Amino acid sequence: MTSHGLEYQGCNFFRQRLVLSTLSGKRVRIKGIRSRDDNPGLRDFEASFIRLLDKVTNGTKIEINQTGTVLFYQPGLLLGGTIEHDCNPQRSIGYYLEGLLMLAAFMKTPLKATLKGVTNDPTDPSVDLLKTTALPLLKQFGIDGDGLELKVVKRGMAPGGGGEVLFSCPIRRTLRPVQLTEPGKIKRIRGIAYSVRCSPQMANRIVDSARSVINKFIPDIYIYTDHLKGANSGKSPGFGLVLAAETQKGFFLSAELSSAPQGQGPTILPEDLGKNCAKLLLEEIHRGGCVDSTNQSLALLFMTLGQQDVSKVLLGPLSPYTVEFLRHIRDFFQIMFKMEAKPPLEDERKGGEKVLMTCVGVGFSNISKVTK
Amino acid sequence: MMDGKVKEQKEQRKHQQKSSGPKSERKKSRKLDDTAVEENENKKNPKAFAVQSAVRMAKSFHRTQDLKTKKHHIPHVDRSPLDPPPIVVVVVGPPKVGKTTLIRCLIKNFTRQKLGDIRGPVTIVSGKKRRLTFIECNNDINTMIDLAKVADLVLMLIDASFGFEMETFEFLNICQVHGFPRIMGVLTHLDSFKNNKQLRTAKKVLKHRFWTEVYQGAKLFYLSGMVYGEYQAQEVKNLGRFISVIKFRPLAWQTSHPYVFADRMEDLTDPETLRLDQKCDRTVSLYGYLRGTYLKKHTQVHIPGVGDFSVADVGFLPDPCSLPDTKRKRTLNEKERLLYAPMSGVGGVVYDKDAVYIDLPRGHVNREQEESRPTTELVRSLIDTHATLDAKMASSKVSLFRGSATITDTDVEGDEQLENSAPLSPDPTSNRERRKMIFTGEVEANEDGDDSEDGDDSEDGEDGDDSEDGDDSEDGEDEEGGDDGDNGENGEGNDDMDEAESDEELDTNEGNNVSMFLKQVRASTEQPGKLTEPQRVQTGKRLKMSVDEGEPKVSETLAFADSEDDLELSKEDLSEGESAAEESDEEDSESEQIETRAAGSAFCSDEEWTDDEPDVESTVKSEGMEIPPPKTTEKDLKKAKALEIKGSDQAYETDGALRWKDDLQQKASEVFLKHQQAAPNLRKLVYGTVSSQGAGQGEEAELGGLFRVSRPEKSKTNLADAADYSRFHPDSLHNWDLEEMMHSIADCFVTGKWEEWQDAATLLKQDENLYGDFEDLETGEVHNGDDKDQETQPEVGGEEEADDDAKEDIKVDDETQKKNKRLEKKRRLKERFDAEYDDGDATYFDDLKEEMQIQAELNRTEFESMDDATRVQYEGFRPGMYVRLEIAALPCEFVTNFDPHYPVILGGLGSSEGNVGYLQLRVKKHRWYNRILKNRDPLIVSLGWRRFQAMPLYHIEDHNGRHRMLKYTPQHMHCGASIWGPITPQGTGFLAVQSVSETKANFRIAATGVVLELDKSVTLVKKLKLIGYPYKIYKNTSFIKGMFNTVLEVAKFEGASVRTVSGVRGQIKKALSTPAGAYRATFEDRLLMSDIVFLRTWYPVAVPQLYNPVTSLLLPVGQKENWSGMRTVGQLKHDLGLHYKPKPDSVYKPVVRAPRHFNRLNIPKKLQKALPFKSKPKQDQGKGKTPRDLIRPTVVREPRERKVAALLDALSTVHSYQRKKARGAQRLKHKGFLQQREKQEGEKVKRQKEAKKKLYRMMGQQENKSQRSSLKGASQDG
Repeated sequence: MTSHGLEYQGCNFFRQRLVLSTLSGKRVRIKGIRSRDDNPGLRDFEASFIRLLDKVTNGTKIEINQTGTVLFYQPGLLLGGTIEHDCNPQRSIGYYLEGLLMLAAFMKTPLKATLKGVTNDPTDPSVDLLKTTALPLLKQFGIDGDGLELKVVKRGMAPGGGGEVLFSCPIRRTLRPVQLTEPGKIKRIRGIAYSVRCSPQMANRIVDSARSVINKFIPDIYIYTDHLKGANSGKSPGFGLVLAAETQKGFFLSAELSSAPQGQGPTILPEDLGKNCAKLLLEEIHRGGCVDSTNQSLALLFMTLGQQDVSKVLLGPLSPYTVEFLRHIRDFFQIMFKMEAKPPLEDERKGGEKVLMTCVGVGFSNISKVTK
Repeated sequence: MMDGKVKEQKEQRKHQQKSSGPKSERKKSRKLDDTAVEENENKKNPKAFAVQSAVRMAKSFHRTQDLKTKKHHIPHVDRSPLDPPPIVVVVVGPPKVGKTTLIRCLIKNFTRQKLGDIRGPVTIVSGKKRRLTFIECNNDINTMIDLAKVADLVLMLIDASFGFEMETFEFLNICQVHGFPRIMGVLTHLDSFKNNKQLRTAKKVLKHRFWTEVYQGAKLFYLSGMVYGEYQAQEVKNLGRFISVIKFRPLAWQTSHPYVFADRMEDLTDPETLRLDQKCDRTVSLYGYLRGTYLKKHTQVHIPGVGDFSVADVGFLPDPCSLPDTKRKRTLNEKERLLYAPMSGVGGVVYDKDAVYIDLPRGHVNREQEESRPTTELVRSLIDTHATLDAKMASSKVSLFRGSATITDTDVEGDEQLENSAPLSPDPTSNRERRKMIFTGEVEANEDGDDSEDGDDSEDGEDGDDSEDGDDSEDGEDEEGGDDGDNGENGEGNDDMDEAESDEELDTNEGNNVSMFLKQVRASTEQPGKLTEPQRVQTGKRLKMSVDEGEPKVSETLAFADSEDDLELSKEDLSEGESAAEESDEEDSESEQIETRAAGSAFCSDEEWTDDEPDVESTVKSEGMEIPPPKTTEKDLKKAKALEIKGSDQAYETDGALRWKDDLQQKASEVFLKHQQAAPNLRKLVYGTVSSQGAGQGEEAELGGLFRVSRPEKSKTNLADAADYSRFHPDSLHNWDLEEMMHSIADCFVTGKWEEWQDAATLLKQDENLYGDFEDLETGEVHNGDDKDQETQPEVGGEEEADDDAKEDIKVDDETQKKNKRLEKKRRLKERFDAEYDDGDATYFDDLKEEMQIQAELNRTEFESMDDATRVQYEGFRPGMYVRLEIAALPCEFVTNFDPHYPVILGGLGSSEGNVGYLQLRVKKHRWYNRILKNRDPLIVSLGWRRFQAMPLYHIEDHNGRHRMLKYTPQHMHCGASIWGPITPQGTGFLAVQSVSETKANFRIAATGVVLELDKSVTLVKKLKLIGYPYKIYKNTSFIKGMFNTVLEVAKFEGASVRTVSGVRGQIKKALSTPAGAYRATFEDRLLMSDIVFLRTWYPVAVPQLYNPVTSLLLPVGQKENWSGMRTVGQLKHDLGLHYKPKPDSVYKPVVRAPRHFNRLNIPKKLQKALPFKSKPKQDQGKGKTPRDLIRPTVVREPRERKVAALLDALSTVHSYQRKKARGAQRLKHKGFLQQREKQEGEKVKRQKEAKKKLYRMMGQQENKSQRSSLKGASQDG
């Protein structure tokens, strides 16, 4: 009676597999998780992610073998509600939030999640970045309204953490198809320069250096400085910058950079950080598209889960993560995307090659939602 | 003469209009007034048009708006395919109502062909754009449920002579639950009405009842009578016209799920495994048009009546019953009126991977069946040794006269049935009886080994009394056909047959199921050693039966006539096949034609089709493109193997294998172009090569293999365990300090250069162009630019054109250009105007509709240009395609007990619809079902595609959201139900029946409802009352025992409220150490020792996890409607003869009441004193003895005194009598006096009146006199 399952090897793209499994209702067995590693099996942050999934679902069956190298996951139904989760500080909240963003719209009751842990670290997209880019993207698919909110209550830098994020999302029965083919021109750039447990001047120094790079392109720039103190400042010191360019059509391209965690890696001057971050933003703009590289997979997932209509989105070059995500979508939903490369025209000065992704949705509907 | 007179009469004098006089003036004035009034009616009567009441105005406005909005439906994206699948027309009705006859008539009407025995769906081309699939729904609730789910149009046959029957209403209710398809009613048996008025009233009554069930004004057809066993041609034609123009509204379930209504089934199981284990799971391929929505590969399907299966392989085949390609014609060509009914044994020639399907020429079917009947009967009966004697007896026929109709057992039975049912019919209550009767009759018929259709037909024959002969002969055909079909299905003794027999077999079987042919072929392949030459010739012959000139689309090329070269190529592998083919060639030269399908895809699944061929081509053309070949070689090998195994199929196979040579160049160029494009490269990067793509679950398991495609192999393990992050860190950042680099993204900003059509400057210019003076356009640069365009255009058009012509052309072009420009300008102005003035009218609804339309357009055009094979990968299989689904591991009963009369539906399941969980439903017992439903009694639920047995728990939601369990469903109210079952999207309707096997007289649909919620757990509670007894009572505190057993249990209920029977409320305070489970509780009043303390709590109930699919299709033929699952407790008790033993406590006993004795009320003396007098107890004791002085002595009379007293007594009696008498007389006298006095009084009054009158008259006269005299006097004075 139960649908046939899928099998995978290795712990890479762990979140994709579990999230897609939850959405499609297909069982998944992941074998050989770091089986050749000195320290085999699932890491704490992965276990934490599984626990988070368990919290938002009902009837999920999880079996992990003794060494932690084999995981069997049989998804239940998405439940939602008010949950609180202590995210493992090995990865930032962004890691967990990316998974939640994909699931949140298909819960039984609207999700109100309080996530505690590291808000900003160099590896994962920070909460601020997701707030500026992922939330507007959700709105494109019809997930909007009062309930949609992502709030940084406390900021916690790696490695200590101590941050707190409030994420709430309304539920939808179906998503609407999108045609995001024309990104429009960038009309303004906004940003947040944050610093915790260090001099408040750091943020200002970041702002100045970042502006010096991007001021050549557009004058409408405003970078907020965010200096949190006391209880709201987490456990570790650090600073960083998130930049987002907004186009006329309401699409966001973003880049971020944050200081290395205390006691790890080389120290970086705030001026350099600002400049490098600005350059990353330029790189992102060069890649272009309607969705920035971090959220490509989110956009593609929602296109897949749309009604049985054609959706289109223009993306920059596909990131390896997205490429793997596309393969997983094919495994779980039997959806293949039509990909048309759009090389830049000769006289055009709009960055590099773009890809137009087209697909027909599976006609997904939120089966958890209650009808009365 | 007469004409002249008429003319004279016609030429009458004209009416002379008055041009003067009052009448003409009046008319003129009225005319003038009229125009004036029309203009300013408002002015003339302003009150009538003034706003009287703002409220009323608002109300009327609201009302009009409401009415307007009510007409709106939620707009949906129109996802209907461009070439839609055939419309499923389900013919429904109780037995003996004329379903088969109607289908036959309709088929004859559309295709001019006569089908003998109709088994399974029949697809026909009914018009330029429409195809129909007819299916008859037999009288089985399983079939009714299944067909209601796939029906587009329902023809509901009603026996007018009888009225509505339960089946009709049951089917209507099934339809209501599963989305309402179009329903057309058809009244039959109208010729049984002798009286015209009776007929009319019957029609009217039935029509109105039908309308209330379906909708007001639903179409009801009248088939007035039979002519030679068929309905009247004109009526059938009209019905056909209605069918071919009817429009449909998409149904929610159907449009969101792909489904295939299988019209063909082949068993592909390896014969060797079959030999080893007869009951092994079968691999079966099912064919049919895909409907609903896109079907993806590897989806799960549910086959109602069998179960859930995952599709092993899907492929699309060329359409066997395609629409005519040119749509310019008005009517269909005779050749385009196709008919496709594999299960009935008719259709085009179809080749595919592993089966061959052969069609017979038009008209061949009937002729053969009719002509060869008597002879084959004998032969067949001789051959048929695998049927038992009983069965043979049952199916044996007697012919009374040569050439006349045969009479069978069932015919006789049918007559009896009719006789039985006929007298019942007028009785209004006999509706139920009738159903029962018919069913039992059918069961018998089934037991005899005939199908129910035969019974129908025989009845039809009876109906048309005057055309009995024709009908009966048809019956004969039917039965024969049916028997043949059975033969074909069983057909194992075929290989024993000698050639002549098989030859004749073939003749008789031509209109028959393919599977028989297939099996013959397979049987012969199993023993290649036995295969004799003549037999092989026979196979060749069989091939040639496939003549159908009328299907240019279906059969494209002639395969064998000129394929010798091709054959040589494959000689190494196929020596045997070659010989067979050659023989076929020889035979070909005789006279007959062979036509085969040119479908290459029929041999291989679509991926092979797409991948293999390019591969071959690339090797041929040596383009040097990278295409991984290993897959194909494997497949080729497989193919070769298959060829070797299949002896007689070889001829076809060779043909298919060599088909790739056809238009090689064109394909190669196509492939080259395809590979030139960038997209496939990107696709290859992401999805790997396409060949590995479609390879199924096994390959997907080793998904790591995909990494190999794009990355070096050694990195695979590393990657598999690499860090998991979504950031895209570029390998090398561009150097953003360089001016060049910064320049490259300059246009991404608003500060950069804008596109031509967006640039502010150009936009301004455009506006100028548009609104500036037209003459300005013709002068200056603009004009030159146009000229340039004009000059280039003809150059592109053709270089060979003469130069002098060119000038003229330019002129002409110039004019047209101008014209175009003008038109363009006009259009844009109009657009602008519309935008300015019409936009106010555009409502949200209009916007939404437009949006949907745009989306629909996009959906249609996005993949239009692609070839089907590629398109299928992106979209999945489109509805309207003819697909072949291969399903592995079907239960063997599906194949062995296959009966084409029962529909095989493959319903695609959504992404998580294959899982099970708890479903919360809203249920209402059907108001026509005469019992309420008991909690936990198994019910058969039809939900989504499925029919399954489940044990529902009924519940109702309390005001605080608690789900309280109910023991029975409420009578006339909705309630909740929870079942363990397949996850089905919320909002899906369902219906429940108690059993699918029994045919009761009563309405069978027990409940209907809708899915509300899905979950993996349920919170259902039932009431639990815990009872305790006080054992120690202080003032308001009591110690209670007997409610719990341990301290822990009490601890859990601390603070809970309790109450006594008499209603004294209290609270649990704390557990006591001894006795265990006792506790202290406080109450609002002091308890008595006799009180009982209750604690009301709720106990969670578990929903029984029973999910038992109804596997009715797996049952043996003839018993398919007898599926029975879990029995209810009541049924079990009934079947086992058990009786309920009530608990002694629950038994009613006579109430014995002891007389109650109340003590006296004792009021203390002190209190008595304080009471007011009113309330004081009164001293109402006896008066005591009367004192002596008050006691009067009794008088005793002397005898004399007694006498005196007696005399006095008598005297006084006499006196009193006399007085009474005297008074009576006196009263009479007085009465007389009163009358007299009244009379006198009256006279007196009269007299007085008279006198008064006299007096007044005199007085009046006197007065007059005096007045007159005074007047006179005055006049004299004057």
